[in-house]
Amino acid sequence: MPGMHELSIASAIVDRAKAASEENGGARVTKIGLRIGEISGVEADALTFGIEALSKETPLQGVVLEVEFCKRRQRCTACSAEFAPEGFLAICPTCHGDQSECIAGKELDVMYFELEDAPCA
Amino acid sequence: MRVAVEEKVLSENDKLALGLRERYRKHKVFCVNLISSPGSGKTALLERTLEALPKTAKVALLTGDLQTENDARRLAKAGFPVKQITTGSTCHLDASMIIRALDDWNLDAIDILFVENVGNLVCPTSYDLGEHAKIVVLSVTEGEDKPLKYPAIFAAAELCIINKVDLLPYVPFDLAQAITNVRQVHPGMEVVETSCTKVQGLESWMAWIERRRNQAMEGGAAKGSAV
Repeated sequence: MPGMHELSIASAIVDRAKAASEENGGARVTKIGLRIGEISGVEADALTFGIEALSKETPLQGVVLEVEFCKRRQRCTACSAEFAPEGFLAICPTCHGDQSECIAGKELDVMYFELEDAPCA
Repeated sequence: MRVAVEEKVLSENDKLALGLRERYRKHKVFCVNLISSPGSGKTALLERTLEALPKTAKVALLTGDLQTENDARRLAKAGFPVKQITTGSTCHLDASMIIRALDDWNLDAIDILFVENVGNLVCPTSYDLGEHAKIVVLSVTEGEDKPLKYPAIFAAAELCIINKVDLLPYVPFDLAQAITNVRQVHPGMEVVETSCTKVQGLESWMAWIERRRNQAMEGGAAKGSAV
């Protein structure tokens, strides 16, 4: 599900990181920890490009992204088996049921920021 | 120094869509977002829908295209409020465009808002417009494998309309296979078959709107039957 909205997502992350920098006396943000699900609709490459572009001449310039990818997992409605579907279709490998709910893979979370010690702290 | 955050990231569009959803809830507006390839018949479907509605129905429409006011002109003939959104070069509608278009409309005077997206099966899927339901339109002059090629929209939509069924005798479209493909991507998905030139299948589509709207209005007092 490649989305074209990564710039808007990148902007939300950059704004949050800038706020964290301000709360810490304008400290440089060196690393952003993200969690991205397989079907979150976000392409990590496009997101990285967006964050790089938006962080120029800010306390985020040169920031490194550490991305934890989350595989999609479904739980079968009929037999409750949990499974990682192959491709887009989600057929339960245990009972071959075609009804299941997504229990992982939609994540799009900021986990942490790493900041340098504040210049004037 | 590490600062723990552990927050969901909402894009700017998601925030605006949340705001729209809240406004629709407050003003009891039922909103659907129609998505298809260009030329599948979204505008024709809406024309027939408007003709079938009583003149007193509180219905309004937003229609998106890159250029021209053609669709708004077609839809305005039925006498309901219509606004064209021309996106310039953008391949989808986003929540900010909807907010701007609704700016001078009184939402209390609207029971059902039809949003006709830009003809595109890919990008509109990613942009939440705060709607209650996405509807995907597929026409029989396209390939029956479209749901397999563009699964995301068929998975996200609640209803699939297969349009132009009057042309089935003249095209190699395998209707049963198309429905199998739809349900392979979206198990149990509801499918309605329509023709907008022979006016066929409209009652199933209108019944779906009424049923889905009632469901959306549950929990809050609905403003009464709109269809």
